Amino acid sequence: MSLSVQQRAEFVATFRFIQVFLMETIARWVPQTPEMEVKVLFGRHIWELAQQADSLGKRVYELRAPLQFSLRPVESYVQVLEEFARTETTPQKISGFYDVILPGLAARYRNYLELTDHLLDEPTTRVVEKILNEFQKMIKESETLRKELPQLCLADKNWPAHLARPEVSVPTIVAHRPSAAIA
Amino acid sequence: MTGLKPEETKQIKGMTLRRDPAREDCFQVVHSDAEMQEWPGMTEISQRQRIHRHMNNETGAIEIAAQCLVDFPEAPWELRMHLARQCWDESRHVAALYQRLREIGGRKGEFPISCFEWCVTCSLDSLAARLALQNRTFEAGELDLLGQLPTKWREIGDERTAEVLESILSDEITHVRFANQWLKLMVREDRRLLLKIAMAVRFLTTVTAALAPQEGQLSPIGLPFEAPQNRITQVNVADRRQADFSDSEIDEYLRQSGFQSIMATSAEG
Repeated sequence: MSLSVQQRAEFVATFRFIQVFLMETIARWVPQTPEMEVKVLFGRHIWELAQQADSLGKRVYELRAPLQFSLRPVESYVQVLEEFARTETTPQKISGFYDVILPGLAARYRNYLELTDHLLDEPTTRVVEKILNEFQKMIKESETLRKELPQLCLADKNWPAHLARPEVSVPTIVAHRPSAAIA
Repeated sequence: MTGLKPEETKQIKGMTLRRDPAREDCFQVVHSDAEMQEWPGMTEISQRQRIHRHMNNETGAIEIAAQCLVDFPEAPWELRMHLARQCWDESRHVAALYQRLREIGGRKGEFPISCFEWCVTCSLDSLAARLALQNRTFEAGELDLLGQLPTKWREIGDERTAEVLESILSDEITHVRFANQWLKLMVREDRRLLLKIAMAVRFLTTVTAALAPQEGQLSPIGLPFEAPQNRITQVNVADRRQADFSDSEIDEYLRQSGFQSIMATSAEG
């Protein structure tokens, strides 16, 4: 059985919450990060994340929730996001975002595509597929920058695993609610 | 003016301002225009200095828009979208100017930089006040400058820089326009914001006066500072209109800028 309309709305609203959280996190990092090229990279991707959140927020409305509705994920995933947001050095910020958080989120989006009905929920699948393509482009841009400026690469190659471990340990991110809480 | 923690602020000439954003070690960060190098004319060093300065101003514009996204999460989503878009635009401006700087032989950190706009704007505690200063004042001022600069660059045969500046101008019109439109809406809904905006403008005036060069002071390159009346830029009326300034607002600005005589001529037809 595929996802109900309410379940789809919950997934989409949760994805939107995460997108906005990530947008705010890299926005917070822009003034705190010394490297001009990294400010430029984050500035570009603030807009990508905002547009992705916007598409999800419009889609969630079509799924009988309020326009631009966000749903806070399960607490264990929020903790992962908050831990990530506390990252301090520029190489860790870049690696944490482009090597761990975005790929992890992409895996969850792909999982959603497996769960949902591709005909009945085609509008969501189109939004999610577009986001997945954009994630790839964002990751590629970060790789190009790291090739240009090797000082942005992590010295501690084990660090991404430190962030990835709790991320993958959260099996589902949607905090399901009674229908009245969504509609 | 905000509930900033002491470690988030700096004291300059008796003024409390938001502390500078992070910059690489190659940059020498100064606190006012009086400490900046301003090379006259369009010599090679002046060209590099102009682009270097502009590049840092655009970097500051990314930072201000990004900080607004952080500090005002409850702002309407449509307005946040404009700010996010502005981050992207300003990022492209920095990238284009940095590319141009390197093409003409410049480098990051070649000249001192100042983050004045960030330090003033991000001291303010309301989004309306920040939009009024950053977008409606600083960026609107940039419309005036960018209305003239491409001609200067073309005069020395630099078509590429002229094109870069013209592209930046068209983006900046959009930033000023959304601020004008949202400010009108916000003030219509809450008249008390007018007081916040008035206080922000007064704050800017006070800080500008406090950081202005002293009489007889020489610039860091040993030249006398140009008198304020000689620095007035031609007001870019057409683009200010595009940016949704009303005719009465433009008239008022012209009056404050000392253009009464031109206005009279124009009114006479």
